[in-house]
Amino acid sequence: CGISKGALSFSQMRAFHSLRALRSTTSKLEPDSSLLKNSGQLKLSDRCVERLKRLGEGDDAHLRIVVEGGGCSGFQYKFEMDSKINEDDKVFEREGVKVVTDCDSLEFIKGSTIDFEDELIRSVFVVTDNPQTEQGCSCGASFSVKF
Amino acid sequence: VSRKRMIPTRAPLVLTKGAVDRIKDLMQKHPEQIGLKVGVKTRGCNGLSYTLEYVEKKEKFDEEVLQDGVRIFIDKKAQLTLLGTEMDYVEDKLQSEFVFNNPNVKGTCGCGESFSI
Repeated sequence: CGISKGALSFSQMRAFHSLRALRSTTSKLEPDSSLLKNSGQLKLSDRCVERLKRLGEGDDAHLRIVVEGGGCSGFQYKFEMDSKINEDDKVFEREGVKVVTDCDSLEFIKGSTIDFEDELIRSVFVVTDNPQTEQGCSCGASFSVKF
Repeated sequence: VSRKRMIPTRAPLVLTKGAVDRIKDLMQKHPEQIGLKVGVKTRGCNGLSYTLEYVEKKEKFDEEVLQDGVRIFIDKKAQLTLLGTEMDYVEDKLQSEFVFNNPNVKGTCGCGESFSI
């Protein structure tokens, strides 16, 4: 802990890339197994859908989730509103609202639930129940990956 | 000759305009509450994190801060930790949160949610 945002050590960087390479080779080996397909889904919670409906009123913006290196546990989630969909993006849709993530990021978050936490002190989007994570930071902003 | 010297008292907690507006808004939605209470809790990767809750009645030893018509209580255990803190409310499209700019903090967690003093 205590690693500042954005500062990624060399070993972490290497781990990140080798993991990406490993993940991409395994997914090439069995591209269409039903098991992989099912676990490659993102669930959107009711509160998340409701919030996105309110946010997206009037335009076709969608929520984009990106996983990047940083935070006190190695990786962190980043949420942003975006209006375009790139070639390597996966789109998850429920009740008309869209959550978009790129293939590389999806590898780290597949199987998890996207939720919107509405508390007195803060209201934020969070990724919960991520089966890929070993342990997260207590605030849920960053996580480390199971190898 | 009066020996008394006036020492200017500094408010233990200062609210920004954003925070005042937000709290006023919250208080309108919950008229039965008299204010909000700020506290700290041992949690997070850097030791401490802030808590915020509604207050129905003032407890003994809680410090009361009244600013621009909103009432904030500081938990008795958090008074030293929070001394001189500025409380702000930051809101954008995706998230909204109360932010504490605390001069006593030595280090924070990457996400800024937990801190050490």
